[in-house]
Amino acid sequence: MKGMNNRFFSALALRNIKSNKTLYIPYLLSSIAIIMMFYLMASLMANQFVQERSSALPTLFSLGVIVIAIFSVIFILYTNSFVIKKRKKEIGLYGILGLEKRHVAKILLFETMFTSVASILTGLVAGLVFGRLFFMLLNYLLKLPTDIDYVVAIDPILWTVLLFLAIFAITYIYNVSQFTFANPIKLLKGKTEGEKEPKGSIILFILSLVFLGWGYGISLTIPDPISAISKFFLAVFLVIIGTYLLFISGSIFILKALKKNKRIYYRPGAFISISGMLYRMKQNAVGLANICILASMVIIALSTTLTIYVGSEETLENRYPFENNMSLFGDPEQPELIEQQFADLQAHYEQETEKLGLEVTEMEALRFQSIYGSLDNNRFNFTEAFDGLELNVFGQVIPLEDYNGMTGKNIELAEDEALFYHSNGKYTKEELIIGDRLYQLTPIENDFSAETGLTETIVLVVPDMSHIESMMASYKEQFPDGPIVGLSADIGWNTTGTDEEKKAYADRIRMQSYSVESARYESRDLQREDWYSTNGGFLFLGIFLGLLFTIGTVLITYFKQVSEGFDDREKFQIMQKVGLDKEMIHDSTKSQIIWMFLLPIVVATIHVIFAYPIVSKLLTLFGITNEKTWLLSFIGVVIAFAAIYWVIYRITSKVYYSIVK
Amino acid sequence: MALLEIKNLKKVYTARFSAQQTEALSTVNFSVEEGEFVSIMGESGSGKTTLLNIISTLDDATSGEVYLDGNPLSKIKDKEVSAFRRSTLGFVFQDFNLLDNFSIKDNILLPLVLSKTPIEEMEARLMPIVRNLGIEAHIHKYPYEVSGGQKQRVAVARALITRPKIILADEPTGALDSKASQNLMEILKGINEEGQTILMVTHSTRAASFSKRVLFIRDGSVYHEIYRGGQTADEFMDRISQSLTVLSSRGEGHE
Ligand SMILES: Nc1ncnc2c1ncn2[C@@H]1O[C@H](COP(=O)(O)OP(=O)(O)O)[C@@H](O)[C@H]1O
Ligand SMILES: [Mg+2]
Repeated sequence: MKGMNNRFFSALALRNIKSNKTLYIPYLLSSIAIIMMFYLMASLMANQFVQERSSALPTLFSLGVIVIAIFSVIFILYTNSFVIKKRKKEIGLYGILGLEKRHVAKILLFETMFTSVASILTGLVAGLVFGRLFFMLLNYLLKLPTDIDYVVAIDPILWTVLLFLAIFAITYIYNVSQFTFANPIKLLKGKTEGEKEPKGSIILFILSLVFLGWGYGISLTIPDPISAISKFFLAVFLVIIGTYLLFISGSIFILKALKKNKRIYYRPGAFISISGMLYRMKQNAVGLANICILASMVIIALSTTLTIYVGSEETLENRYPFENNMSLFGDPEQPELIEQQFADLQAHYEQETEKLGLEVTEMEALRFQSIYGSLDNNRFNFTEAFDGLELNVFGQVIPLEDYNGMTGKNIELAEDEALFYHSNGKYTKEELIIGDRLYQLTPIENDFSAETGLTETIVLVVPDMSHIESMMASYKEQFPDGPIVGLSADIGWNTTGTDEEKKAYADRIRMQSYSVESARYESRDLQREDWYSTNGGFLFLGIFLGLLFTIGTVLITYFKQVSEGFDDREKFQIMQKVGLDKEMIHDSTKSQIIWMFLLPIVVATIHVIFAYPIVSKLLTLFGITNEKTWLLSFIGVVIAFAAIYWVIYRITSKVYYSIVK
Repeated sequence: MALLEIKNLKKVYTARFSAQQTEALSTVNFSVEEGEFVSIMGESGSGKTTLLNIISTLDDATSGEVYLDGNPLSKIKDKEVSAFRRSTLGFVFQDFNLLDNFSIKDNILLPLVLSKTPIEEMEARLMPIVRNLGIEAHIHKYPYEVSGGQKQRVAVARALITRPKIILADEPTGALDSKASQNLMEILKGINEEGQTILMVTHSTRAASFSKRVLFIRDGSVYHEIYRGGQTADEFMDRISQSLTVLSSRGEGHE
């Protein structure tokens, strides 16, 4: 064996890859696709829109990157194990021919090096090209006011290279271990043996239900959007694992039950397809689980972003309850200033409106004090303002006068009484101590303030301003050096007038607002374009991700059909010799429909139905509170994706048919 | 009327990308009566498999015709050819052609399943055959779990289960050791004695000696035949060997 150098081994490795074209072309194609997918997802992290639009987006996208990374690991290990199983015979032969194990390991090393370098490079180039092209196309199609740029950064490229080098290294170790611990005779026979049923499939099945139930449970019980962000990843992870286990154990269970039923099993179509699927049950199950997971991702990505876009007008109204919105931020050192401003401005805007020949149709004015703290027993304990959003209950204290003015009610409160609203409704006591006062509570609905929905919120309507002052005095006593938030005020009003008049009016008020101290003026009309362009950006990302995952689905379905086609080809030839006709081949491929088409789509739909609550919570982060929009786009996307997948399925099953026939 | 009649069969293979032609069969004429056990012998490349494939309707003749029960096979419509193959012919191949994804039982039942036979009927036919062939202990195993001889017996069972008019066997002992070959040939002989017509291709004189008649094929045509008559298997084998020696020395110039 002297003189065997690297050149020899690398030449041999190349020759092996070439002579196993039918195995390696689908393997390389799908590796390239998944690498491209990961890279594109990672590269979105550097996207300006993702970074700047919302603080939740970078988090969600990094979760997405992790999910795709996990998916990549499973996917490549799966395709690799399939390829190497097919090659057992060939590699077993090396042993018989007298090649030492370390030599075989070396050949495998070169093979892995060639395939991994080739697929990583091609995947990156494809990602760069695809990303650019696709962003161009989407910018052209969506015609958003501002284009979204595709950013090429070095970090995502680096992550991609590292991750996939690591994955391919694992496949190498796996492949070598397959041959180091096996004897050559077994290897020679290896390919023809069916897959062994995984041990303890009942336990796997129970485990899958546990994982799925846990994941679904997180979604069903999620209390608020902030915990939705932090728990979303865990839920996704659990459901992914659960899906694999479910498909592996569940499909074996079903197939075996079908096989036991002689009347079903001993019919031409079922006979061929059931036995074929049992023969490669794990491979089959993992393939289906892959499709199912990608389908879920497409549905979630598209339906959420579509909701955000379609719901733009609604969110615009949530964010800007009036055509004109003026917010005042009081100076805690000069509390009387804001009181003055508050009264003056209301009168001023009435006048301004009249000056332009318009009328105020509706005006709301509200002063409120923001407080932060926690509800312990029957007491609201202050914490220092801005001391970590998650732990705190956010409170708004409103004077009765403003509450009555706003709601048109005429409620009276005694000195120890208050109106009370709690966002999650858990505080049901009839009294509350805040500062040094005890209030008897009367519950009210939140029909007045724009609720953010992000954190636990309480609203307390107190008899008059003096209660707010004494409350703040208690806070100062407790935290002499703590930050103090002054009284705030919101004035919102609508006017009569045409769109043009309103716009001119808003421009005028905005100009004036620059001279008002600590104030912010926002006009719904002036914000609209901006709003649509940001929400269009979401849709953009959604379509992008949807397309990405759809391409993934196409490739996996294609890989599955092609590899199984080559697998089944010989079988069909033998069966044709003993009298299988073409029509029956057609029949047997048809009876796969239920598996290949319905199963992944149905399970994916169940997944997303259970994801509904947690996704709803996440959507409130982007201002969506109208469930109807979300439900409709959700149903629409599920149907649309099912249709697309149907086309994919039909085309790839034609490919399968043309291979086996 | 003969069960199987082959008239002026000719087969020319044309290479796909060149004008080069191979004449696998030039003119083949012979017939097989019902209940016969006929062996066809010839060297590798003499056209045996080609002949069998045409009889099996797996391949088309260039000219000439094969008649089964007086009906020309070339007139069978494309749509019916698979059903015809399933119900009328039984096959035994050199490399077994069993399917690894089916248990032994399902492999045997395959042609019946394809013919949509009721399950009761299938099971009723299965047991006597597997018992007869001595493989009833293995019917729940898979092909990769049994020996070559057993595999070939499974293939014979699969051929028998449709109660075919004729069994076509292509080198059935080709992949077996001598003991398994012996065993298989005894089985085929027994089946024949029960009335089953068998046409077998082989280049083993030992295997051929189990049949009642041997046809010799060379350069694409039948040029000699001998009958066993009342001879024992050993005597017949000697005669086959002699024929082969004489004939091959006569044909030496061609090699
Ligand atoms: N599909 C084919 N295409 C071209 N030539 C073929 C084909 N099949 C067989 N042949 C040729 O026909 C001749 C007879 O082959 P075959 O019937 O397989 O012989 P045997 O079975 O007796 O060994 C050989 O010369 C072989 O090369
Ligand atoms: Mg042959």
